[in-house]
Amino acid sequence: MTKRVLVAMDSYRLAECAVPLACYICGVDNNYNTELCRHCAAPLALSHQARTQGVRPQMVAVLGTAAAGKTVYLGMLLDMLTRQNSRVQVLARGAFSITLQQRTMMALSTCRFPEKTPNEPDRWNWVHCQAKVNSKKNAMELIMPDMAGEAILEEIDHPNAYPAIHSFLEKCSAVILLADTDRIERGGAEQNYFLMKLITYLSEQDNRQNRGKSTRPVAIVFSKADRCEPCFDNPELYAREKTPNLWQQVQQRFTNYGFFASGVAGSVGFREEPGEGTSAVPLRIEPRGIVEPFEWLVRKV
Amino acid sequence: MNRYVVGGAGVASVVVLMSLTWLFGSFSWALATTVLMAAIGGGYYAYRQFQIKFADHLNADQSNPETSTSRTSASPTNTSNANDSQSLARKMLDQGRYTLLLRPQIAESIPPKLLQRAQTMLDDEMTLVPGGETIVGKGANDSPDLPDHLDGRIVQVEGFYLDRYQVTNEQYHRFVENGGYEQISLWDPEIVPALLDFVDLTGEPGPRFWKNSKYLSGQAKHPVVGVCWYEAAAYARWVGKRLPTDPEWVKSGSWPVPLPGARPIQRKFPWGEAFDQNKCNLWGSGHGATLPVDKYDDGMSVGGANQLIGNVWEWTSSRFGAWQSNSSPLVLDASMRSIRGGAFDTYFETQATCDFQSGDKAIARKRNVGFRCAIGICDLIPDQSMQAEDFPAQVETHELAEVAQ
Repeated sequence: MTKRVLVAMDSYRLAECAVPLACYICGVDNNYNTELCRHCAAPLALSHQARTQGVRPQMVAVLGTAAAGKTVYLGMLLDMLTRQNSRVQVLARGAFSITLQQRTMMALSTCRFPEKTPNEPDRWNWVHCQAKVNSKKNAMELIMPDMAGEAILEEIDHPNAYPAIHSFLEKCSAVILLADTDRIERGGAEQNYFLMKLITYLSEQDNRQNRGKSTRPVAIVFSKADRCEPCFDNPELYAREKTPNLWQQVQQRFTNYGFFASGVAGSVGFREEPGEGTSAVPLRIEPRGIVEPFEWLVRKV
Repeated sequence: MNRYVVGGAGVASVVVLMSLTWLFGSFSWALATTVLMAAIGGGYYAYRQFQIKFADHLNADQSNPETSTSRTSASPTNTSNANDSQSLARKMLDQGRYTLLLRPQIAESIPPKLLQRAQTMLDDEMTLVPGGETIVGKGANDSPDLPDHLDGRIVQVEGFYLDRYQVTNEQYHRFVENGGYEQISLWDPEIVPALLDFVDLTGEPGPRFWKNSKYLSGQAKHPVVGVCWYEAAAYARWVGKRLPTDPEWVKSGSWPVPLPGARPIQRKFPWGEAFDQNKCNLWGSGHGATLPVDKYDDGMSVGGANQLIGNVWEWTSSRFGAWQSNSSPLVLDASMRSIRGGAFDTYFETQATCDFQSGDKAIARKRNVGFRCAIGICDLIPDQSMQAEDFPAQVETHELAEVAQ
């Protein structure tokens, strides 16, 4: 004799799976209630927000070598723009967009730099915000991820190694390239080569459609320029003299480009960390040249 | 006065004339001799007058009645020296170098009126910070905001005077104008070879952002910036002061209240415990540049020092890292000096408190670092006005004691 058993109908789960949600970054379909994209690990909250608001956000990439200052730059930028209503205003979309700002500011206020961004894409911070420039009528939706420098380098050397970076750079409408002034001043060529690779990568992505110069706006920002005051006086002249290859590449491949200098720490000390080598300690925080590149980009986009 | 001199000389001439007539037996010879003697005497007198007037002209000091009085009473040589020293003293007062005159070694040779003027300038331009204990670094308020490398230690500070305001462009210009960059004796010996690097935008000696050894127009009352630690120290020597030590700076801002058997209670900001952006010029104030040093009166310290917090960081004489924690020490450039107080571009309010210390290289000439000067009470003569006030009180006590007996 068979016993009758009541079995719960889970068909609604099947229905959820039947309505896929496309990742806003890479476009791959995902389950509706998944947190991160199964292909590129970007948060699907971006897709949810884009769908509910009916606005397609623009993407801005902040790129640079490891420890070039991407996290600090982005965190500082967001904090400055949300703290003071100046020429550009920013409004965060979703609580997750404030995590990067919070972590960066908590560290800087106690004279520490934030921890290095991990290489794993599922641990990156993604910022989705609304940016409004005084001179423009409409606000703009922006997505700005904080990607690890090593991952960016890996993607450039081996395209498609990181689907999130590949897809993001293909779709992004503007780029901020950070060059570590401290390392340039110390005479290393690493920054020069990395940025040349990036510029080549970006321009070749654009040239698939047309063969002329890329029209994508690119802001080349000399970060940590507080350690080299002349850089602030004339960043383009600095680029021409200190990174001539980079300067040539930018001129030949892009029509919309600008050179900027930025600094966050007024002065820096160093500390020997057991087993980790030397780490920099900001002795005070004096942001300088942070908003200007972003404002320039937002006007160009 | 001259009337009596002429009258006396006339009577003397008549007496001499009559004596010579009796002696020579001839009035003509007697008259000629008298005229000759009068001519020699008059010539000598005219020569002395010319000497005195010439000395006056050199000193540009003819209009002062004080000088003319001393001139008539003193011997010619002493008069000349006294004039020189007095005009020099006046010049120093005009340059704001009043503390030099109040040094015990110098004050003895300065007339009381000039000394009084110097004392008044001291009272107007400097605040008296009493001696006592202060906590330097972390631990002052057990603040969790302060970085790990700042340690808290109790330091005994002697009483001192501190400038009420940061040194302005106008004040520093006097130093530049009077050849401060050429007077090697004012500078630390190790920096003398680098003196030629301390030039402005036009290559002339002066702070980094000046032009042709002059500050930008409209910035006379702004704090001087673009000066390194050595330039600040040289200026301080020139005006007869020094840079405050790190504990002195903390004490003047946090104004500790001593407690028996416990750590002194210190203020976080000169005006109290809570931050108020209307009392200082930091990043949040939105000015984005320096302001005149006499702004933000509401933010002054208990003693009356203005803008200890904000506007520009201030060089102190102490080495940066002198108070850092032993548990997590920093590897620092040996020349790093302590700076205090925050500036117009300081982003976090927690980094512009009385107990927060930052540092920079001694040769850094930054747009947001200036300074103010200090001098120890023991380096100056006792305040005459304070002594005068004390005197009647002593008499009164004495009288009361007599009554009690």
